Formats: sequence, C-alpha cells, structure tokens
Amino acid sequence: MKINLFEDKKITEEYLDIHFTEMRPMIRQLIDTVRSERPVITGRPADEDIDDGEEIILDPEEIYYFDHVERKLYAYTESGVYRLMTTLSSVEEQLSNYGFVRVSKSNLVNIYKIKQLKPDINMKVYLSFDNGERICINRSYKKSFNDYLQKMRRMGK
Amino acid sequence: MKEFIKSYLLELCCSYTIISVAGAVINMIMGTQTNNANVVMMFIFCNIAVFVLSIHKFFEKLSPLAMIIIQYVMALALCTGAILIATLFWGPVTPRGWFEFFRSFTIPYIIGAALYYYRLWDDAKKQQEMLKEIQERKESGSH
Repeated sequence: MKINLFEDKKITEEYLDIHFTEMRPMIRQLIDTVRSERPVITGRPADEDIDDGEEIILDPEEIYYFDHVERKLYAYTESGVYRLMTTLSSVEEQLSNYGFVRVSKSNLVNIYKIKQLKPDINMKVYLSFDNGERICINRSYKKSFNDYLQKMRRMGK
Repeated sequence: MKEFIKSYLLELCCSYTIISVAGAVINMIMGTQTNNANVVMMFIFCNIAVFVLSIHKFFEKLSPLAMIIIQYVMALALCTGAILIATLFWGPVTPRGWFEFFRSFTIPYIIGAALYYYRLWDDAKKQQEMLKEIQERKESGSH
C-alpha cells in the first residue's frame, strides 16, 4: 500500500484520507487504530498468582487461540500462556475483524496462525498451529467457521 | 420442542415422498407390485430413520464416527423391533428375509457414511485452500 505523508503547519485539524478498492481487514484495522478503537487485550502470565502478576498487553497477531476452561480464559501465544480477566464472547466481538473465529464453545482461534486443517480417522476435523498444538472444530461451529473464512476471503479481495 | 416437531415432520414428509416415488418407479420398471403391508412398513422405517438421525445433537461430544456407529445400531435395533411386531400381524419372516433386511439396511448406510466422510474431507481441503489464500494475501499486504 502506498503511503503519502504531508506536513502542513497551517491546518487547524489533522485529517487522514484512506483510498481503498474494497473494505479489507487491514483497512478496518487502520481505521480502528486511528479512531483509537484498536482492541487492547491484556493478560497476566498464567503461572503467576492472578493478584501479583503484572498485566501485559498482548498483540492479537501473536495469539494462537483463546481457551475457556473452568470459567477462566487463557490466551496461548508463542511466548507463553496468559490469563485474561474478560469473557470469551467479548474477546470474540473485539477481534472478529482481526482473524479470530469461534470453533467450539470454549475456543476462539486466530486463522492467520493455522498451519493445517485436516479430518482425523474418527471424522473429527482438527486445526494445527505453527507451535504444533491441535484444536478440534466442533460440528456445530463448522458452518460458521466456513462462513467466516468466506467473509475474510471476500474482504481481502 | 415445537421447532423439533416441525422439522421432524418436514423431513419425514420429504423422505417418505422420495422413497415411495422411487419405489413406484422401480415397480413400474420391474413390473412388480407392492402391498399395503409394505407401504405401512416403509412409513415406519422412514419414521425410525428420521428420528434416529434427528437426535444427532445428543452425540455432540462424540466423534462423528462413533455417532454414525451408534445411530446405525439404534436404527437397526428399532427396525428389527418393528419387523418383529409386524410378524405378529403378517406372519413370520424367513431367514432369507432377515438377511435381505440386514443387507438392504447396511449397504445404503455404509454408502451414506462414506459420502459423509468424503464431504468432510473435501470441505476441509477447500477450507485449507481458503486459509492459505487469506494468509498469503495478508502477508503480501503487510510487506
């Protein structure tokens, strides 16, 4: 994408024009950033005490998936596992434009981190990530997962 | 519950219509005839098939393969039960008749399961291609 930057001391209000052929995830993310609506996901290292651990800002691009276990929400990244003090549905809402899609009642995955998608001998479909972990796509979420991929593909064209 | 009954009746109507029309076409081609007992049994089998397939939600935690096997055993047991009840009214079934029933029940079921597996594999392949396309586009867009 071509970027033109103009410095003008005379203007009273700064503005930004974005010229695009079609609304793509990247354009949507740019708009969110400018409007300061870019989602901020924070979490504490899962192995530390929830009250003592330092809260860290997580980059959505670094997250493989979210897992909801026993009413606790965890984010799995390359650097480790973080516990989040929010709900899976609110994270899903925040990150729906950033490649995150629900594949089961307790898992929200980053489609940009998926390495392979393969059915198993027992007819379950598994997603495998760069880090070697595998997650099963629940039958009830199969259609919504497919719809999401098609939406992301259309947006990217 | 209302939604379940609505969808159950709709599926029953569709499947019974398809089977009875297909049966009528086969009878016309082969020059054979059916009787009232066969029509009633066909309706009962359709009911069993639609009922067993409609309870798939209860096997959500199991793998599709386990679900297919459980549904096969359930449907086979219910159909056998229906035939045993029918023998009280229309006379006993010969050993050859039981074998024919088992064969005509199992073969379409295996074909159905194989088609399901093929569709699953094909869908996964298409989704994998879509994923690669989305990921490549993102990479080329970010450079």
